[in-house]
Amino acid sequence: MPKDKLRLLLMVSLSITLLATIAAYGYMSIILNKVNIGSSVVIILPLLVILFMAFFITRKYKDVKRGMPLEDEYSKKVMLKASSVSYYLTLYWLLFIGWFEEPIANLVGLQNLDAGQTTGLGIAGMAVFFFFFWFYYSKKPNLA
Amino acid sequence: MRNKIKELRTKYNLTQEDLAKKVGVRRETIIFLEQGKYNPSLQLAHDVAKTLKTNLDELFIFD
Repeated sequence: MPKDKLRLLLMVSLSITLLATIAAYGYMSIILNKVNIGSSVVIILPLLVILFMAFFITRKYKDVKRGMPLEDEYSKKVMLKASSVSYYLTLYWLLFIGWFEEPIANLVGLQNLDAGQTTGLGIAGMAVFFFFFWFYYSKKPNLA
Repeated sequence: MRNKIKELRTKYNLTQEDLAKKVGVRRETIIFLEQGKYNPSLQLAHDVAKTLKTNLDELFIFD
């Protein structure tokens, strides 16, 4: 299934791009002597996303190699359910970040979070929610 | 909803993976189908019935 392989390749490329960006950010933080808890969080959270991607891609790669489709009606349902629930929860997560921005910033040794850090925290939260619910729904049948 | 997928699959000496490949789904979907924990689309139900040389009324038992 060349289409499935192409999609898998695209996922790998995206993960590598993200990894390269984090590496560049980390390197620049060290060069500019800006390593603190805040910048570490900005690096660690996307790394979690990459870990999830690696797990996801390995699983999919094994399936494609065995001649299975990359996705079917059940896995699409799981994706849809996990995406919708994580999107819904992310709205509350963003509200939480908005309301408790200062305590969160203090927690990581900063006075305030800048726009990039806030966005990163929001996206990372969404990724964590998605991973959790994707895993939960892939093991739980009877999806409505 | 109960079904006879496992019974017929065994009759035709098909593994879950074989059946999955024949109907173009993943093995997990067949596992959940056999356990009666997933209600397939009409298209998938039709494909499974056709592969197992039966019809929908025979394959699925509506309680």
